[in-house]
Amino acid sequence: MNYAIVRAARLSLEEFALLSGLHPDLIRRLVALGLIDADRDTAGELWFSRAEFGAVARVQRLRAGFALNYAAIGLVTDLLDRIAVLEAALRGQAARRPGR
Amino acid sequence: MANQDFYQVLGVPRNADQDEIQRAYRKLARTYHPDVNSDPAAEDRFKEISEAYDVLSDPQTRRRYDAFGPDFRQVPEDVDPDEWRRRRAGAGAGQTRGGFQSGGSGRGDGFSFSGGDIDLEDLLGGVFGGRAGRRWGPIPGADQEAELEVTVEEAYRGARRTVALTGEGTRRSFEVTVPAGVTDGQRIRLAGQGGRGSDGAGNGDLYLVVRIAPHPRYRLDGRDLYVELRLAPWEAALGTSVPVDTPGGEVKVKVPGGTSSGRQIRLRGRGLPNPKGKAGDLFAEARIMVPTRLSHAERRLFEQLAAESDFDPRRQR
Repeated sequence: MNYAIVRAARLSLEEFALLSGLHPDLIRRLVALGLIDADRDTAGELWFSRAEFGAVARVQRLRAGFALNYAAIGLVTDLLDRIAVLEAALRGQAARRPGR
Repeated sequence: MANQDFYQVLGVPRNADQDEIQRAYRKLARTYHPDVNSDPAAEDRFKEISEAYDVLSDPQTRRRYDAFGPDFRQVPEDVDPDEWRRRRAGAGAGQTRGGFQSGGSGRGDGFSFSGGDIDLEDLLGGVFGGRAGRRWGPIPGADQEAELEVTVEEAYRGARRTVALTGEGTRRSFEVTVPAGVTDGQRIRLAGQGGRGSDGAGNGDLYLVVRIAPHPRYRLDGRDLYVELRLAPWEAALGTSVPVDTPGGEVKVKVPGGTSSGRQIRLRGRGLPNPKGKAGDLFAEARIMVPTRLSHAERRLFEQLAAESDFDPRRQR
């Protein structure tokens, strides 16, 4: 029986660092600061999902654009996410109300 | 873009001090940063702002920009601005660039430099290239969002639409398939069409957020479609069958006798289709209308009905 080749669902720290172009130490620091999510296995190794590439890119853009430190970026990304949720809810409300 | 005046881009006077320039840049960056503002046009604006700030925030480059104008990068480093000004003034009125010729005059007193096209992009390294000595390496672009307004009919049937996005001097257009049964707020993803990545990193995605335009006859709630059903008093009282226009064509709605205003008659599955499951329903909302002017005969009949009937719509049940 043949099996389709499936991309590994999660990436090791080294793979993730290589693909995002950042140093593994920096990645580790971003995880410690809660800026990107990672799973830690029983051996203590970090594992990343591909969705975190977007998060890392956003951290880099915010740092480059505003000269923020990493702790401040955590606050900014949280606020941006909350605003996005609220705006989506607001749009949904406006759409349901007729006669705009 | 290179011809944009950097002071105008930041909205500061030419004699602004460093603090003022910094303040203007920070304020604009907070508005147009691609992670704060997902509008596709914001990226170009942010790029301009960053470029202007890169030049004006460094006193050395700013002095050169003031002296040599937008082409200052093509003037060699060792040219003294005061000297250049003097020479240009001396070169005679009317000649804007006469004192400096690309390729040089061949005489000892002229400044020579090889003009050539220098790509600003190379110098700045994209949006986040940053100042000299502060390189960030490749950074993937941000996702962007733009609104796509569709009519109720398009949402019902699906449509092919050409979407044009105009930025500062750029115009991109996309052929987009709007799937049948799209709902308000749903996002259509165009992979790789978002913010540009710097230094060869990947682009972000562009999301088109579907906005269903208000319709004079239809109201939508998710995939459920509401339409007003106007009835004469006798139709509402006796019951009838009324043709109703829907985006999918005319349907017959059976109105049961004894229908009051506000009653919703449901036609299952006649709302917006659902590519992944149950279609929405159509709700015909009864609204009883009376003639504004009555003929003699009508008046007589209504008076007779009023005398005959003991119906009291305000009676507490």
